[in-house]
Amino acid sequence: MKNFSSQTKREFLKRMAATVSAGMVVGLPKMSLAAGETIKIGFLAPLTGPVAAWGKPGLDGCQIWAERINAAGGISINGESHPVEFIGYDNEYDPAKARAGASKLVIEDGVKFVMMLGGDPWPGAQPVADRTGMLFSTLLPSDLGPDTTTLIAPAEVHPIYNVTGVQWLAENHPELKSAVICAQDDALGIPSVATYLAAFEASGIANEDPILFDAATTDFAPIVSRMISLNTDIICLDTCYTEFVHPLVEQLFQQGYEGTIISCTADFYQQMIEKTSAEFMEGFVFQFPDFDDPALEQDFINFDDPAGFFSEYNSRHPGEWGAVSWEYASIMDLWKWAAEKANSVEPGDVLASMLESGQGEHAFGTADWWGKDLFGIDHALVGNWPVVVIKGGKARIQDYKWIPGWYDEFGDILKKYFTQYNLMWDQR
Amino acid sequence: MAFIGLLTLVLIALPHGLSYSQREILVVLTINILVVSSYRLLTLTGEWSLGHVVMMGVGAYASALYSKEWGVPVPISMIIGALTAGLVAWGLSFPLFRMKGFYFLIGSFAAGEIIRLLWKRFRDPFGGPKGIKRIDPFPDIDLGFIRIDFFDPVNYYYFTLIIVVLCLVILWRIEKSLIGLTFHAVHWQDKLAESAGVNVRDYRTLALVISSTFAGLAGTLLAHYIGTVNPNGFDIEQMVFVLTWAIVGGTTTLYGPIIGCITLTALNEIVLRELGLEQGRPLIYGLILIVSVLFMPKGLEDVVKRGVAWAQLQIVKERTNGV
Repeated sequence: MKNFSSQTKREFLKRMAATVSAGMVVGLPKMSLAAGETIKIGFLAPLTGPVAAWGKPGLDGCQIWAERINAAGGISINGESHPVEFIGYDNEYDPAKARAGASKLVIEDGVKFVMMLGGDPWPGAQPVADRTGMLFSTLLPSDLGPDTTTLIAPAEVHPIYNVTGVQWLAENHPELKSAVICAQDDALGIPSVATYLAAFEASGIANEDPILFDAATTDFAPIVSRMISLNTDIICLDTCYTEFVHPLVEQLFQQGYEGTIISCTADFYQQMIEKTSAEFMEGFVFQFPDFDDPALEQDFINFDDPAGFFSEYNSRHPGEWGAVSWEYASIMDLWKWAAEKANSVEPGDVLASMLESGQGEHAFGTADWWGKDLFGIDHALVGNWPVVVIKGGKARIQDYKWIPGWYDEFGDILKKYFTQYNLMWDQR
Repeated sequence: MAFIGLLTLVLIALPHGLSYSQREILVVLTINILVVSSYRLLTLTGEWSLGHVVMMGVGAYASALYSKEWGVPVPISMIIGALTAGLVAWGLSFPLFRMKGFYFLIGSFAAGEIIRLLWKRFRDPFGGPKGIKRIDPFPDIDLGFIRIDFFDPVNYYYFTLIIVVLCLVILWRIEKSLIGLTFHAVHWQDKLAESAGVNVRDYRTLALVISSTFAGLAGTLLAHYIGTVNPNGFDIEQMVFVLTWAIVGGTTTLYGPIIGCITLTALNEIVLRELGLEQGRPLIYGLILIVSVLFMPKGLEDVVKRGVAWAQLQIVKERTNGV
């Protein structure tokens, strides 16, 4: 008779558990980790296609994060160290593929946590989360609702943090009095439009009617011409996809725009500088820092060695640093912290550990679990967010702003615009 | 007969040889077979549309709204949703069939985009760019001694398989009927058919309505499985996939587009993913497409035809040698 080693027996039990759950899918059995067993984390995001810029750099960042953690001894659970491994699945920003991917990661691969970009694919994955109790994360808190009890938005509370850029502009450039926003008319663009409208209004900056364009747009010249013709002090590029921000900025340059530009992202901004000029891009305001920024070397920052991470990332993926390169890794910092505190990697235990004190260790400092007002559940981690400005061809953090503070003062304006665009959780 | 029996056994056993996530892909693949097969019916009249996937979306949106907003039971909302797609296609046929050939192709694209824009613009009731979420699933069946949960991809696959097979039989019967023969006549000899008293426009309309109804039914199957619909799910990129399946598979037989759909989906979703070529899939997929079009211009169905002809020849040879 064949002698099973304890490891083999454990593997067998896990396979059985997976088989049973594959048939029934009514919650995953709790399995304790074997000594040194690898902890698997799922990465379910677009790795190809038009939205890949907000998926693939995140996975690349996670690989670096895993190597650093594993080199430092791994994740400590009950005094035993466990290496961590990421398993990616390209959902192509499609809900059907997100459902298949979630099933694969949770039921077949046995991951303990799944990170997503969120947006359109989340509703596809949600039934899998509901049935298995798996902990998922999103970068888009508009996915949150009272019923998404196993979904958290722990890194990026998009688009609420956009208020910080406008707030900084109003404080430092009080001469700016009017703005126009352009955005693709989709699930990513519209919540951001509502937020920017609220932020401008709160800062006493007059809004022109937003210019919405279809996500299939390829010619941005007419959009830019229309915006320039409005003669506003600020042109806001909202949360346009990277492949839209670049041609919009090029058009603004070619059509001789001389005002201030604010955008949620400026991924691969060096390419934009090459296509325009350093002078043109001077003063471009956005929200995502390079991690070699000296302002990240402060005590309240909870991201380990940001400059080293940035350097390693750029050496492996030159010119690919973007908004999400660090975000998924920072989610993993939070997850690791919560798992080690709970001495468990089980989704329910980790979630409870995260939410326990009402605060969590966000990359930009300790933050509050927040969001019941807007999202119907306090599963968004909100605190400081940096305001980044391009100066001398380099993005540099100018200030950190406390988002809950802004919301306490101007939350009603934000809710007004969220309601106008049917974005409140009870309207969805 | 033996072939049909064997095929039935394979189709029944198939999900049990797959992993859980592959079963999920199998469900979507089965639905896509209905989409591409219904598309072929329209091509019989010689018209190629770029709005077929939007018609699938019309069925999906309609069924979702009927069940979610009006409380219509899901099985009934699926049928009405499919009929709604047919009705919308009938409405569109009036402007569209003032055009032919390339102009029809562009017109169908424009009509589809208008529908997609309506979904995006009218947040009430279509949900805008985010679409409709939390669509009611197909209800579980509880017979006391057995409970069928349609969240399970195996159960939903069997349900979808039954629907799709029924639809394929209907499509096949239509093609082999007098109506189908007239579709061919409209394609190849439209002037002659017209001179023989055939109302070409009516037959083109009929083909569009039937194909859209089946596409709409496919949309309802998808919507009540995935639980969400949004305008991006029915855009031109998805249409290009349907065209690709039809072109690579071939459109002269009912099974041609089905082979194209199965081969390319299996290649893209299973083989390339299993090989760990997750991020290189679009590149490899594109290369394979180019190679297949270059070296198999008549589609995969031609390979099957040749294979069958070769097998028949071998049988004849064997029998001749035996004599």
